[in-house]
Amino acid sequence: MLDIESLVTRYGTITAVRDVGLTVRAGEVVCLIGPNGAGKTTLLATVAGLLRPSAGRVTLDDADVTGWAPDRMLRAGLALVPEHRRIFSDFTVRENLLVGGITQPASRRHELLDEMVSLFPILKERLSAPAGYLSGGEAQQLAIGRALMSDPAVLLMDEPSLGLAPVLVDQVFDLIGRLREGGRTLFVVEQNAKRMLAVADRAYVMRSGEIVADGPAAQLAASEDLFETYLGQSGGTA
Amino acid sequence: MQADRVRHAVAPVLGSGLLFLFLVAGSLLYAATGDAAANSLVTQMLINAVVVLGIQIYIGNTGVLSFGHIGFGAIAGYAFAICAISPERKLRQIPNAPFGLAEVDFTPLQSGLIAVTLTVIVAFLIGLALSRSGARSGAVAAVVITLALLFVVHEVARNWIDLTRGGKTGLSFSPLGNATLQGKLPIYLILLGAIGLARLFKETRAGRLAQAAREDDLAARVMGIDPAVQQMIALLLSVVVVSAGSALRVFELGSINPRLFFFDYTLLTLTMLIVGGRNSVVGALTGVLIITVGSELTRNLSEVDIQGMNWLLRDGLTDIFLGGAMLGFMILRPAGLLGDWELDHWSLRRLRRTEPPPVPPPSTDGDQTPTTVLKVTNVTVHFGGYQALADAGLEAASGEIVGLIGPNGAGKTTLLNVITGLVESDNGQTALGGVILTGVSPHVIARSGLARTFQNFRLFSALSVRENIGVVRLVAKHFRRDRPLPPVGALMAQAGLWEQRDRRASELDYGNARRLELARAAAAGPEFLLLDEPTSGMSDSESRAMIDQVRSMAKLIGAGVVVIDHDLNFITGICDRVYVLDQGRVIAVGTPAEIAANPAVQTAYLGTAE
Amino acid sequence: MIELIQQIIDGLGRGGIYALLALGIAVIFGVMHLINFAHGELITVSAYTSYWLFASGLNWWFIAPTVIVVAVLTAVIIEFVAFRWVRGAPDFTMLMTSFGVHFLVQALFVMYVSANFRQFPRPGWIFDTWRIGGLSLEVFDLAVIAATLVTLLGTYWLLQRTMFGVSLRAAAEDFDTARLMGIRSNRVIRGAFVLSGVLAGVAAVFWLMRSGQAGPTAGLNPMLKGVLAALIGGLGSLSGAVLGGITLGLVEVLLISRLPGGTAGLTDGIVFLLIALLFVFRPQGLITVRRVERV
Repeated sequence: MLDIESLVTRYGTITAVRDVGLTVRAGEVVCLIGPNGAGKTTLLATVAGLLRPSAGRVTLDDADVTGWAPDRMLRAGLALVPEHRRIFSDFTVRENLLVGGITQPASRRHELLDEMVSLFPILKERLSAPAGYLSGGEAQQLAIGRALMSDPAVLLMDEPSLGLAPVLVDQVFDLIGRLREGGRTLFVVEQNAKRMLAVADRAYVMRSGEIVADGPAAQLAASEDLFETYLGQSGGTA
Repeated sequence: MQADRVRHAVAPVLGSGLLFLFLVAGSLLYAATGDAAANSLVTQMLINAVVVLGIQIYIGNTGVLSFGHIGFGAIAGYAFAICAISPERKLRQIPNAPFGLAEVDFTPLQSGLIAVTLTVIVAFLIGLALSRSGARSGAVAAVVITLALLFVVHEVARNWIDLTRGGKTGLSFSPLGNATLQGKLPIYLILLGAIGLARLFKETRAGRLAQAAREDDLAARVMGIDPAVQQMIALLLSVVVVSAGSALRVFELGSINPRLFFFDYTLLTLTMLIVGGRNSVVGALTGVLIITVGSELTRNLSEVDIQGMNWLLRDGLTDIFLGGAMLGFMILRPAGLLGDWELDHWSLRRLRRTEPPPVPPPSTDGDQTPTTVLKVTNVTVHFGGYQALADAGLEAASGEIVGLIGPNGAGKTTLLNVITGLVESDNGQTALGGVILTGVSPHVIARSGLARTFQNFRLFSALSVRENIGVVRLVAKHFRRDRPLPPVGALMAQAGLWEQRDRRASELDYGNARRLELARAAAAGPEFLLLDEPTSGMSDSESRAMIDQVRSMAKLIGAGVVVIDHDLNFITGICDRVYVLDQGRVIAVGTPAEIAANPAVQTAYLGTAE
Repeated sequence: MIELIQQIIDGLGRGGIYALLALGIAVIFGVMHLINFAHGELITVSAYTSYWLFASGLNWWFIAPTVIVVAVLTAVIIEFVAFRWVRGAPDFTMLMTSFGVHFLVQALFVMYVSANFRQFPRPGWIFDTWRIGGLSLEVFDLAVIAATLVTLLGTYWLLQRTMFGVSLRAAAEDFDTARLMGIRSNRVIRGAFVLSGVLAGVAAVFWLMRSGQAGPTAGLNPMLKGVLAALIGGLGSLSGAVLGGITLGLVEVLLISRLPGGTAGLTDGIVFLLIALLFVFRPQGLITVRRVERV
């Protein structure tokens, strides 16, 4: 479904993404874990079209979408739930959702709105509230719902559990699990590695701009030296 | 380096002199060949050059967009006219002038001095207003305040008929409005002064500090610079020059009315400044030349009668040229034709190529300087409903290297921001060597001995490596005299930047840029270096090299270090102690080995499998 | 008391026009971070259009809608020719570009039309007054208030209830995230200019009805007022712009009535001075329309 080959993104003078390649197959939940500064957000931003890659290819459903603008990517079926959620705080919850479905015909948009409301019962009660008043967890749900309003083929998520209290983190991973059961294709960047690996099919580990490990999620979760791989500690130089 | 400083002053002076001679020779030549009209054109061009140079001193060095500098010109122009016009003529034009001004009788020189002094006083008030509103490079407030000046002065001049005879007729020196300025000597003298002042100001301490603030206001503050002070100095100097030029303009013209110093003249002078390059003195003069020639050409063209071309060659062509030039350059070449190049840069470059790399001085020994402790306690920070820090803190002693780690969003950078005064904490305290720094302005904290780097580095892009470090050293020389301050060259050599010393910071590759950030912070002579992810984006080998960099730099200046980073190799290799932050709290403290083995730390980073 | 009410109505009459102008400025600033100093040129174009149409023998009922259309076209052309190239540029560049466009268009008028002001007739009824109770109200003020209300309501409906309006507000709040939703940046920016053209057109109709003049600098004063009003409201806030415009109108009227006779001509200068002072002490604008906290 989504194929990334030899992607390189430069951000000012930094080469934030160095020769990254990965695949997300239809119906899979694939995660990308790694420490902060590894380039994960830059990678997602490049795939979604907010940044231009200096080299490499991005293919969506066999179509070459490298370097496409974000609105074009969305129409092609790729939606991003950005880091820090970035909901429109001046809008109501309902308006946020409607904006998410702006590329859909009006009738379909309202169908999708009903779907989202049933998927996120918390939002149902707050439809007319200004989105800025939502709590962190509710805002995260809104951001995800908003992205789903475009009926995407692939949903990208950037650190959905960021800044959330533990009980809200539960909700988020619960949701991811439900989306997985519903057959959605997800590509999730996460910091909370253990929780994420529990709900994912496959995982990639990224550090300093490069993929340093990958495999089935369960395998990585069980591995002894995950912590070392993750943070790059090479045995004992104190 | 001593010789270098002499060259810094001598070369610009020589360059300015050269420029002046070139202009004067050129204009004398042109005036000699032509008629009275050519003479007048040259005179006006030289006077415009003075005014534009005045504007350049401010806009070029501070980056603050002042649309109202011509308002200062209006004040000076009217003050000059009211003082210098003979009492007989004054009594006929403004008999009811207040304060008995209709009877004053001053020589042109006296009037000029009065005009400049008066305008500078007004400028001081405007400067206070600008700093109060926090005018920064490009900020809207500065545009509004300076436009207000332009507008208000214009309105006053139009309506205060007793003083200015209003807008319809204005004031004049003689019945026929003849040019009253005899000979060009005053113009030459003032122009020479303006060129010298503008060029030399760029090299002075105030000029350099203003340029740093222009490049990055936040980074400048954090290095100990108070932009408001430098901007005020630049403003006052610029107004001196603009006032002198405006008085000249009125004297040459022999009359004054409000339209003379309003939008049209603003457009003209700003276009001249932009076309040549607002950060350069020779650029400003080039712009004056080009626009004068262009305006004259279009004016002549508009009067020409060519079959079939009358749709283009008509009145208003000059304004099209001016507006088009402004627009064109902003779209195509915002830095102007010459950017920030100066005539003497060419000579300096040749001289510098022969400089040998400096010998690094012996590093300061830990027990020569007394131990200072940085103590941060009980810091709590809320952003709206979100708690960024809860009772966080740390302690570091000089000579120590302390690490601060934790997952994304843990609050590490926020803590650093609180310590350096960029973020207000709800409660908590920062103390350096017993001195409380909580709630103090960032630039004062920097001067007290804390220097920091940024995660997304904030270098002074248009300045060279040497200038980046040098400008911080200028501040340190004044406020950190009792600290070891290795020479700028030594710092550059230590950071491996000697070969790049004259390259612009914006042209450096990533690794060099990071090292420059470090060297620049070291130049501040701090008690503690606070580094925010110095290895972010680096490969493993580069991170390892950074360990040595940080250690040796810290030793060189005798400072302690607090470093935020995610690379555990780096942290383990360099830190004596490590604090771990998660969700705004300190969850562990210890040696790197202890931290790595701590299950709570593992959980914080990887999460629980629950 | 009666005088006060009359002054308030008068102030609202002025304020309504300023509110429309300010809203036009705020809309552009919201999506592009650019203060459009060329906004006044839309008024100038409208002025000349009115003059020519009058010269051709048409009356205000035909001219008013035409003026609005012309303003929209001009706005779109200016965006296409000039502002398109400086999107995302630093503030300094954008401000100078804006000024450059202003001078250039003004110069074009001087060149191709005339440097002088031309007069055209004003509708007779604007000088009528209605007497209600003890009040003596100018019909014109009431017409302006009515038209402004209608336009603002229409704009409100557009911004709140249509998908275009929602896209515009989304782009104004967070341009990149709006693109992630599939909103096309070009369309949004052009749409913003169209909207600003409509607002300028309506404002122009009433401004010109009162002034009855067409000249190259016809747009300077309205532009300044619009910018000032938008600044009072805290640049970028749409409701702030409207409130800023109304405030400006009321302040102006109150100033004129209270100033001694000889200095009435200084009103503009005093207003400018007051706003500058405002900026010294409160750079974020007078009316901080409460922004909902981002979580």
